[in-house]
Amino acid sequence: MNRPGEQKLKHLFQPGQIGNFKTRNMVKYGACCVSNYNTRDGFITPRELARTRVIAGTGCGIITNQGAYPDPLGEGKSYFRQIALFDDKFIPQFEMIAGYIHEFGGVAIQQILHAGRYGGIDLGYCIQPSVVPQTLPHFRPPREVNKEQIRLIVSQHAEAAKRAVRAGFDGTEVTSFMGYLLANFNSRFTNQRTDEYGGSTGNRGRFMRELIDGIKQATPDNPLVVRLNGAELMDRWGGNTEDECFELMQQAVDAGVDMISVTVGWQEAPESSIGRDIPPGYWNYLSERAKKAFPGTLITFGNRLPDPRMADECLRDGIFDFWEVCRPLLADPELIHKAAEDRLDEVRRCIGSLNCLSRLFRDLPYTCTMNPALGHEVEPEYQVTPATVKKKIMVIGAGPAGMECAITARKRGHEVTVFDKAPRIGGNLYAYAINDLARPDDLLSVISHYEVVAKKLGIEVRLNTEVHAKFMRSVLHQYDVCVVAAGARIDRERYAHLPGAERMLDALDVAHGRVKAGQRVVVVGGGKIGLTLAESLRKHQGAEVTVVERDKRIAGDVKPSFKWRHASWVEELGIPCRTSTRLLKVDAEGATVVGADGVETLLPADSVILATQMAPAHGLFGEFEWMVDELHGAGDALIPRGLEQAIQEGFRLGVRL
Amino acid sequence: MTAAGAATSAVAGPDAAGGAGGAGAALPSAQAWQAAAQRRPDLFAPLDAGARVALLARAQPESMLLWQVEEAGVAVRAEPFAGYAASGADIALACDDEALAGVRAAASDQLFETLRAGIRSGHIVCYILRRRCHLEERGFEELLTELGFAFMGACR
Repeated sequence: MNRPGEQKLKHLFQPGQIGNFKTRNMVKYGACCVSNYNTRDGFITPRELARTRVIAGTGCGIITNQGAYPDPLGEGKSYFRQIALFDDKFIPQFEMIAGYIHEFGGVAIQQILHAGRYGGIDLGYCIQPSVVPQTLPHFRPPREVNKEQIRLIVSQHAEAAKRAVRAGFDGTEVTSFMGYLLANFNSRFTNQRTDEYGGSTGNRGRFMRELIDGIKQATPDNPLVVRLNGAELMDRWGGNTEDECFELMQQAVDAGVDMISVTVGWQEAPESSIGRDIPPGYWNYLSERAKKAFPGTLITFGNRLPDPRMADECLRDGIFDFWEVCRPLLADPELIHKAAEDRLDEVRRCIGSLNCLSRLFRDLPYTCTMNPALGHEVEPEYQVTPATVKKKIMVIGAGPAGMECAITARKRGHEVTVFDKAPRIGGNLYAYAINDLARPDDLLSVISHYEVVAKKLGIEVRLNTEVHAKFMRSVLHQYDVCVVAAGARIDRERYAHLPGAERMLDALDVAHGRVKAGQRVVVVGGGKIGLTLAESLRKHQGAEVTVVERDKRIAGDVKPSFKWRHASWVEELGIPCRTSTRLLKVDAEGATVVGADGVETLLPADSVILATQMAPAHGLFGEFEWMVDELHGAGDALIPRGLEQAIQEGFRLGVRL
Repeated sequence: MTAAGAATSAVAGPDAAGGAGGAGAALPSAQAWQAAAQRRPDLFAPLDAGARVALLARAQPESMLLWQVEEAGVAVRAEPFAGYAASGADIALACDDEALAGVRAAASDQLFETLRAGIRSGHIVCYILRRRCHLEERGFEELLTELGFAFMGACR
């Protein structure tokens, strides 16, 4: 505890213990989701090994390796490229991972993940305690397991645990999170059996008790962690109440589990548990209840608790014993080190966009909106290495693409100056953040990160400075490289032919606060900009808002994991959305539109806001082509898309300049 | 191939007049169910012939009301319920008594808003009986979106 942050967060950085294993601090890296980086037949790849080496170096006291399925058929396999541990042939790569974790001083835990209702991804069916159909289209139709299969599954878990320990892991973990096999037995929603494995809470918990007993017998000297729901969020559909969840935890305690990881929600739960709309700390009460109810068992928790300072307070207040954290470490693998060094202002926060899960549900490897290197650790091209030739770089645009590029290039030793015509860093992300109904703090933290890091790295940021041809002539031969990351603007030209087009307000002007909309508003464009603005005007300004969208659906450019949020917000806020509808004209009365049925309608409005397609900043490339040695572009200036692409492109350009 | 314009056609089945749902909960009348489909050609026109959507009482279901897409359009059928897998439905809307009363009341108006709200509140469980690729091929995207499945398989 010599580093300055360790003194400040002394509860977090105190040493701990699990079983016979001492931990350097009270942080557990949680196996929050499967990476999908591995082979289709369950072998760990070099890509995975490189990622886990980074994870091993995060500084956590306990590191949980991602879930491996334990059965040769793959009934427990939930993702195409999930790792397996049903045979000794897999052990060598697990040995390497355990070795990495120990090399960095962590206690190594291997998770065993039988996905149950969410499994059988290659098989066309899944197994469950009872035949309860799926409620999400991603998963496979169910088959009921018999008692012989239950015994086999228990023994497969025990064998997988033995293999993990033989590979060098210190302990194992079984998970019910978020609706996997263990949860399926525990829950009233999916367990409708009439034998000794169904019915009462005691009977439903029998599988879990047998599982714990089987693993503890197989690996008596190694701690066992069980991830259990404090709340399923499935009770509206007949799932367990919170009280029942805690009855099941009691059974796990009585069965001799060493640590309970308290979790929240199922994948198919009709409400959000970890998304950006849930405030940090929201679910702490579940952990607190577990800690009070089971004082003799270690409790670990971290759902929607991304901040080490909050975690330190929770430890101080006895809300849990270990802070379980995963996604914040995907976003910034240096999080714990930065906390220890009192550099939390530099942290790149997880913003809860759930890009990781959105990709998994499209059977893709996970990536992170905030961490462009995640999943590319094995590729030298993604490493920030000293530049061979030091250059003077000008970056036009202080949005995410420009700042990411500037910071990465600066870390490589280049001299970097950022120009932006706006009075602040952030570009259009700032406008989006201040209108966001979910968690403006999350998105504003991205901007704050750029401000702090740019300052610490000595990047000159010249705000209120528009770069155009005349300006470029004034700095001729002063820079070796120009990066155009000036973002995109609303494409008014597409609507210029419409009568009254000049009356329309620009969505970005309104969103930035440069122009004020009235109280009766029509927003033309039902994508993320239009919807965010419409929701904000309705909620914060009390305006009557109607959204007009040409497409047959709204939210076409919104990340899949957040579409539902906009859909429910417009409903809750009473914002009519006219889809398959085109704008015809704008006049003093409002906007005239035509629907798919050909009927023209006047939508009365004092403000008509254009929030449709964005136009890139291509013009700048033509203007600057003969003025600088190297000319590059990044982010929306090339193709208008979103935050993730802006960050990825800025970084990728920064590492190769 | 899609059902032509979702023109609703035959009303068939043993309980076509409605009424037999499950213990204490009656399904809407077939006529009301047919009219509900007729009002939303945007949802039913993309569905391939053979697509089936079941409505039933979740507790002790005895019969189900089906929207069944045929070459001539959407037909409504009432059939005995022999289990989800045996129902032949692509999706099944299993309602509690409160939700079923709401659905009956809303069948002539605001039906899909009611279904969506019921799913969100937990009074209706929308069971997905086919895989995503099958549903997409069969043209279910519009209908599922209307029911609130903005993301076809998501963790929130």
